[in-house]
Amino acid sequence: MNMREKTPLLELRGISMRFGFVDALKSVDLVIEPGEVVSLVGDNGAGKSTLVKILGGLQQPTSGVMTFRGSTVKLSSVRDADEMGIASVFQGQEFCENLSVAANIFLGKEIRQAPGIRDDTTMIARAREVLGAFATTIGTGQPIAALSIGQRQTVALARTLLHDPALVLLDEPTASLSVIQTAEVLTYIKKLRSQGRSVIMVCHDLPDVFAVSDRIVVLRHGRINGVHRTAQTSYEQIIAEIAGVAEGGDMQDDLARRMRRDVSARRSALISRRRADGERIGIADGESEPVTA
Amino acid sequence: MVNTIAGNLTARRSQCVHRVMLRGMGKLFGSQTALRQANRGMLLECIHRSGAMTQIEIAESTGLSPATVSTLVRQLVDEGKLVTQNTIRNGRRATLAALARREGLGVGISIARRELRLQIVDYDNAVLAEHVLPLARNHKTDTTMERALVLVNETLSTMGASADEVKGVGLAVCAPVDHRTQTIAVPGILPGWDGVDIRHPFETAFHVPVIVDNDSNLAAVCEGAIGAAQETSDFLCIGTSDGVGAGIMVGGHLLRGVTGLAGEIGHVQVDPLGSICSCGNRGCLNTVVDEQRLVSLLSVTHGDMNLDDLVSSACDGDPGCRRVIADAAVRIGTVAADLCIAIDPEIVVVSGALSMSGEIFTEPFQQALQRLLFPNALTPIQVFAARYPMTGPAVGAAIAALEYADTRHKDAGRGR
Repeated sequence: MNMREKTPLLELRGISMRFGFVDALKSVDLVIEPGEVVSLVGDNGAGKSTLVKILGGLQQPTSGVMTFRGSTVKLSSVRDADEMGIASVFQGQEFCENLSVAANIFLGKEIRQAPGIRDDTTMIARAREVLGAFATTIGTGQPIAALSIGQRQTVALARTLLHDPALVLLDEPTASLSVIQTAEVLTYIKKLRSQGRSVIMVCHDLPDVFAVSDRIVVLRHGRINGVHRTAQTSYEQIIAEIAGVAEGGDMQDDLARRMRRDVSARRSALISRRRADGERIGIADGESEPVTA
Repeated sequence: MVNTIAGNLTARRSQCVHRVMLRGMGKLFGSQTALRQANRGMLLECIHRSGAMTQIEIAESTGLSPATVSTLVRQLVDEGKLVTQNTIRNGRRATLAALARREGLGVGISIARRELRLQIVDYDNAVLAEHVLPLARNHKTDTTMERALVLVNETLSTMGASADEVKGVGLAVCAPVDHRTQTIAVPGILPGWDGVDIRHPFETAFHVPVIVDNDSNLAAVCEGAIGAAQETSDFLCIGTSDGVGAGIMVGGHLLRGVTGLAGEIGHVQVDPLGSICSCGNRGCLNTVVDEQRLVSLLSVTHGDMNLDDLVSSACDGDPGCRRVIADAAVRIGTVAADLCIAIDPEIVVVSGALSMSGEIFTEPFQQALQRLLFPNALTPIQVFAARYPMTGPAVGAAIAALEYADTRHKDAGRGR
C-alpha cells in the first residue's frame, strides 16, 4: 500500500461520455495508485456516477482510453470488470427479492460441485464468511425482501469481498445508513486500503470523505475541477470547487465571470448553509441553484 | 483472508471470554466437550458482535442448528452469561438472547484526531459493545459530538438496553484536560475543541455524571483495572499514538497534578533548536514522534503513508519502517526514563498505535529505559505491552465513569 509500485493501478485518458446532446463526462484524466482511497465528489449531474459506471463496466465511454495495470482495457460488461479485479457497489442495489441473502451474494456466479449442480453448502459457508466482516445480524438464509435498506447495503458490500478485487468502486456507500453502519463501512474501506486494494468512492458526506480518503477528486459539469490530497485541503475549498466558485475553477462563460466578483460572499453563504445543514452538501435537487444559475 | 481479519477483530473484542475458552479447548481438542465449548464460544462471540439476537438469528449467523442454539442458550442462561426475553420477530414468537449484565452500564468514548471509539462496559468491567468511527483530520466539534450521541443511542438499542441503564459517561480526549474545569487545558492541540464544553451534550442526553479526561490517563485506568497492570498499583502507562502522553498511577490512584497536566511527556523538550510544537514551545517530544514527523521521514522512499501504514509495514518486516519506529521508541524511552526516576513505578505499560508493532517498539524502548535507570537496581522496571492498546482510553473512560458515578451516588446518600 505504501511502497508505491511504479505502474499506477488504473489510468484514464480523455474519457468522455455523451448521452444524446448531453456531455456527461468531458475528457476526464485520472490516475489511481494501488492501495489508494479516492473520493469523487460533485454536485448532482456532475458525472460522478457515470464515471463509476464506466469503471465498473456498466456503461461504455464514447471516447477515451482506460489502462489497468499497465495494459489498455475495454470493459464491455460488469462481468469483464469483475474478472479483471474491479468490484463495484452501485447506487440503488438491485436484488432478487425472493432469493435468500446467500443466493443473492452468489447471483450469476454460483459455485458448482458438478456441472449443473449448485454447491449450496459451500456458498452459504462462504457467504457467512464475507458477511462476518461486518457486525451484522443478517442471516444467510433470510430472504432479501426482509432486509432494511442499510442491511441490503451491507450485503452489497459483502459481495465485493468474494473475488479478491484490486479496485473496489463504491457509489454512495454511506447514504441512508445509521451511524453504526456508517462506522462499519468506513472501517471496511480502511481495511480494504490496508490490504493494498484501491477504492474509488462517490460520497456526499464530507466528514466521511475526509475520514477515509487519500485524495479527493472534484467533478463539475463533467470535468475534473480539482484533485487534492486530503491532508492538504479543507471542507471550504472542496465545497467551493463543487459549487464552482473557487479560483481556477470551471468558469468559462460570461455569467460565471460576473459571478466571480462576489465569490467571497457566495462562498461564505455556502459555508454557513453547510453549517446549518450539519455539513451535508448539495444533495437535494436545486440546492446548487443560487450558484450555478 | 476475510476470516482471519474477522477473527483478529473478534479475538480482540472478546478477549476475556476467549482466553478461558481457548485454554479449555487446548486440553480437550477433538472431543465432544471441545466441540461444545467451541460452539459456545462462537455463540457468545456472535452476540457480542451483533448485540441482542433471537435464537433463530443466532442459528443463521453461526451455522449451528436451532436445537443446538436453544440448548446452549439455556445452559448459558443457567450460568448467568446470557439473559433471555420473549419477543416477536416476523410475526412469530421468538426468544431474544442478550449478554447478561449487572445493572448499570458505563459508556466510554474516546475522541482522537482521526477516530472515535465507543465502548460500553458493565459493572463487572466486561466490554459489552464497541464501535469505531473513522473521523476526518480536524473534525468539527458539533458533527463529531452529534455522531457520538447517535452512535451511543444506536448501540444501546442494538444491545437491547434502555438509556436509563447508563450510569455514567466517560470521554477520553487526545489532549491535556484541565481536571478542574473538565475542558481542554492547552489550546491548539486538538484543533477546534478548545474551550468547548464537551460534557454538556452528554449530560443533557443521559442525565448522568459525565467525566472528561486525557486519553493516556484513562488508558492507565483501563490497564490497571482489567489490563496488563492489574497486579500492581504503581505504574506508568505510556500512550503512543499521534503524539505521546503518560498516565501515572500511584498507589492505585491517578496522579493528575493540580490542573490535570501531570504526565504530559509529549511536551518535554528534547531538542532546544527543534520545531515549534502545537503547544507553542520549541522542540517538544511530540515534534519528533508525532504522526506527521514519523511518516515524513519515509516520504522519499515510501511515498505517502499514515501511522497505520507505518505500523503495518513495520510488522511486515519493512526495514525503513522498523527503523523509524525503533528510533521513536528510543526517543520516547529516554523521556519516560526521567519520569520513572521521578515516580519510581513497578512497571511501564506501553499502549497506542506504535505499540501495536510489538517488539519493534518495546525492545528499543526497554533498552533506552534501562540505559538511563539505575543499572544496579535489584528489581529493574519491567516493560509490558498494553492488553488494550487501541481501545484502552475508551474502556478506561467507561470504567472511570462508573466509578465516579458510584462515588457521586454514595456522597448523595450520605448527604441525605
